[in-house]
Amino acid sequence: MRTYFESYAVLGALLLVGGGIVAGGLAANRLLRPNRPTAEKLTTYECGVDPVGENWAHSYVRYYVFSYLYVVFAVDAVFLFPWATVFSAPGYGMTTLGEMFVFLGFLAAGLLYAGKKGVLSWV
Amino acid sequence: MIQGIDYAAIAPPLILAVAAIGLLLADAFDAPRRLLGLLSAGSLAAALIAVAALAPGDRRATFCLPDGLRSGGPRSCSYVADDFTLLFQGIVLAAAVVVVLLSLQEITDSDIPAGEYHFLILAAVIGALTLVAARDLVLLVVALETLSLPVFALVGLRRYDGTASEAALKLFLVSVVSAAVMLFGISLVYGATGAMHLDRVAPALERLPADLDPVAAAGIVLVLAGFAFKVAAVPFHFWAPDVYQGAPLPVAAFLSVVSKAAGFAGLAIVLALGFPAYAHIWGPVVGVLAAVTMTLGNLLALRQNTAIRLLAWSSVAQSGYMLAPLAVGDRRLPEAVAATTAYVALYAVMNLGAFAVVIGFNRRHGSVRTAYDTLDDYRGLARSSPAVAAALAFFLICLAGLPPGVMGLFAKIVVFRATVAGGVTWLAVVMAINTVIGLYYYLVWAARLFTAGSGARYDAAPGLPVRAAVAAAATAAVVLSIAPQIVLQTVTNAT
Repeated sequence: MRTYFESYAVLGALLLVGGGIVAGGLAANRLLRPNRPTAEKLTTYECGVDPVGENWAHSYVRYYVFSYLYVVFAVDAVFLFPWATVFSAPGYGMTTLGEMFVFLGFLAAGLLYAGKKGVLSWV
Repeated sequence: MIQGIDYAAIAPPLILAVAAIGLLLADAFDAPRRLLGLLSAGSLAAALIAVAALAPGDRRATFCLPDGLRSGGPRSCSYVADDFTLLFQGIVLAAAVVVVLLSLQEITDSDIPAGEYHFLILAAVIGALTLVAARDLVLLVVALETLSLPVFALVGLRRYDGTASEAALKLFLVSVVSAAVMLFGISLVYGATGAMHLDRVAPALERLPADLDPVAAAGIVLVLAGFAFKVAAVPFHFWAPDVYQGAPLPVAAFLSVVSKAAGFAGLAIVLALGFPAYAHIWGPVVGVLAAVTMTLGNLLALRQNTAIRLLAWSSVAQSGYMLAPLAVGDRRLPEAVAATTAYVALYAVMNLGAFAVVIGFNRRHGSVRTAYDTLDDYRGLARSSPAVAAALAFFLICLAGLPPGVMGLFAKIVVFRATVAGGVTWLAVVMAINTVIGLYYYLVWAARLFTAGSGARYDAAPGLPVRAAVAAAATAAVVLSIAPQIVLQTVTNAT
């Protein structure tokens, strides 16, 4: 067990060195630079344009449905890849092909439901 | 290399799965609400018939390990339809039919989307059916989540209602935490034993090296915690009253009967088939859980003055009674599992009956919809509608375990006998004291039915489905009170 924890000592040393470099650089910067703030300089930098509005901004909540649908299909598509590598191998055949279409049928039912409920139409 | 699937064994969940998809599409194509309810109740009844057809046959098992991967071990099937499974599937399905009957009017009244409601109920029932048949840890967790996830949505389905949203959020958070705890426990058990199938976990635990002993013990206690949430045992009980109050009442009935029965089946499967070697660890833990659960549930039920919260706390207390036999550990474990099963079966009947009456009453409660009704509103129910009042009084007496309700008395005696036979006498004493506390609040409620009337009226018909549900539960309660040995014989044969 000793050697196991010792191997973490390197990690700890690395963290210390890394932190030291960043902190040292920032500290040196602070000591060397002149500091003359004005109101202009303290505004939020937004690519040279004057910042508009508050920091609290609304985003369109309707997008969440699309992201849900995307997640459903992206996650379920994962199952297609292992299937694609074996379905033509000896010992599988038509049953395997049929099973995947049953699975796809379930997904399609979800899409059909979402479509009929008006989720996919853009307003 | 294609795995053969025994479609007869998985027929009950399969029927419901096809029906659920059909329901969802039917709703999308604007099928009338009536048809959806009919389809939902019909598919549950079809699944119940499938269970009944499977019951006389042999033990069926499917999704087993293929020969090449078995390496000389046991058969290791993930899904087993034996007598125990079929008994619990029968209980779950019968209770679910009653819940659907109770929901029909509520869906119209509370403006709940009908298609989604029935779809979610069916999805949750599929989870419950799979849970009681699961014999490996992965399928158990997946089934438990399939049972839990739709229920969050069901609880929050009454939109623009603050209490419902709060209840849904609370249930969600507690459930997610307990699922995480349980998964952690399973990962420890898997790490220690290297097996996921319960028939491999059990022998591996018996010959576990000493240095892995604490790992396995911690894992087992954490798995126990996951089920403790499902059955609302004490450290994970506090969601119950708020959720029961905020949820549509039929969903509360579902939680307190279907979900709880499935949870107890899962607990019994895991403890009896998977972890008998560690009975010296989980036995005392279950014993303490049971004692604290029943005591706290009963003491807090004493202080409730609304019907639904009283039922919620009393169902927490009843969970304690159901847990109690399992505290015996591996001494006479089959007998203990039989006792728990019998209690769950009897409890399902009486509690559903009480919920059915409360749902009917809540709907009739004046023109103003209140979220709940106080116990005082039940005054004089015996005069305005004697049949319903008699039914409710009978259910309450059964729940309390007093003589006219032989069913409840019998359930308590079975549990007592198993606990004493297993040598956990202190728990039997705690149970006896708790039964007396329970008597008080059930009887106070029952007595109110026969006092002079308050303003609330139960005069209008509560709708045919609700009335049918009350009648079915009352008939079952009376039959089981006359011949309680039916349940015991079935249960003893099955376990």
